[in-house]
Amino acid sequence: MTLDWSVVWQHRDALAAATGTTFLLTVATMVIAVPCGIIVAVLRLYGYAPVRALATGYVELFRNLPLILVVYWAFYVLPILTGTGLSPLATGLAALALNVTAYNAETFRAGINSIRRGQLEAAMALGMSRAQALRRVVLPQALRRITPVLASTWVSLFKDTSLVSVIAVTELAYVAMQVRAQTFRVLEMLTAMAAIYWLLGYPQAKLVDWIQRRYAVTE
Amino acid sequence: MDFDFSVITDHWRFLGYGVLVTLALSVASGLTSLALGFVIALLRLHGPRWLRPLVVLYIDSMRAIPVLVVLVWTFFALPIVAGVTLPPFWAALVGLTVHLAAYAAEIVRAGIESVRPGQTRAALALGLSRPSVLRRIVLPQALVRMLPAFGSLLSVTIKDTAIASVIAVPELMRQSETVAGQSFQPIEVYTFAMLVYFVLLFPVTRGVDRIYRRLAHLGRS
Repeated sequence: MTLDWSVVWQHRDALAAATGTTFLLTVATMVIAVPCGIIVAVLRLYGYAPVRALATGYVELFRNLPLILVVYWAFYVLPILTGTGLSPLATGLAALALNVTAYNAETFRAGINSIRRGQLEAAMALGMSRAQALRRVVLPQALRRITPVLASTWVSLFKDTSLVSVIAVTELAYVAMQVRAQTFRVLEMLTAMAAIYWLLGYPQAKLVDWIQRRYAVTE
Repeated sequence: MDFDFSVITDHWRFLGYGVLVTLALSVASGLTSLALGFVIALLRLHGPRWLRPLVVLYIDSMRAIPVLVVLVWTFFALPIVAGVTLPPFWAALVGLTVHLAAYAAEIVRAGIESVRPGQTRAALALGLSRPSVLRRIVLPQALVRMLPAFGSLLSVTIKDTAIASVIAVPELMRQSETVAGQSFQPIEVYTFAMLVYFVLLFPVTRGVDRIYRRLAHLGRS
């Protein structure tokens, strides 16, 4: 077989732009999913019973669905719910955010639960409202404790952004497969795609290991 | 808007076949990645010294590359390199196994390392050979401790089989896409698929937790 690796270099601009979109999706999803995750976790822990049930239902549902299905579902359902056509990028972002928020909510819930109840009670005994005690006493400690989990969620999310390629979001996987289809350079483009993901993902995975050692809880 | 769920009952045979393929692929890749994960973890911990960096490289690489990329590469690029074309199901099985075995290996390693080294030393001092220390002392405790992590890995496995739809494995996701495309009723079909996946996945995580709570005392030391 003859291999022609120049095809990768020829499409470097498209691949670079696509890599940018992949990172943009990862960052934007996390920016949405961290605050939303905190809100859902707090609602699940301290909300009124119906709110609590709703939050629990949401978390359990989205943690137990394949992301690719959520992406397809969002692609067909969101335009009907919102009444306007969303761009593939916005749809993909919505699907990713729905998914990661559920995971983050569970992470934050575990983090909040890991801070002894006495601290919340002590803060409230000192005259803080529950919201204040949560914001100033419990959450800062919980956040530090769950940093390693958030870091590994980040890496999973970085990889999972490849799934929005099925609704034609022009991120790395989609663009690489587009070029493959146009040039018929299957092995070259797919290997380049894997290599780019590896080059970007490997340091992130190593960084997560470091964060996990750095923030390890020893009691 | 009107919903017409008769599209599900009209295609129940087609969709049911997808559920069966999803189950078959989940069970098969769950078992193969478990077996391969054990081998890899043992190689990482007790294998020849020159092999260990390669094993670590493999594990970390799989943590860095999306499963979609692994599946697509196995299906489209492997035939060019190796000269053998795998049917979609087998390509998915190979791709998922290669990907998930890395995660399984990390679980096995964490389980084995969680058993205090003093126990291994004590057993060696009593005259047990290394393999029998592993088999009789370490693994019985480690296996129980690995259980919850294996439970979540199984649920990840089932979710990842949905990605095999990209390489045309006729599992539930792919069958749903086909029905949705033909019937022009994507909302009904995908909502049904969501329901099925939820019903498959929810008991897995809950069930493993329940079994673990029963067995947890066996893993204590």
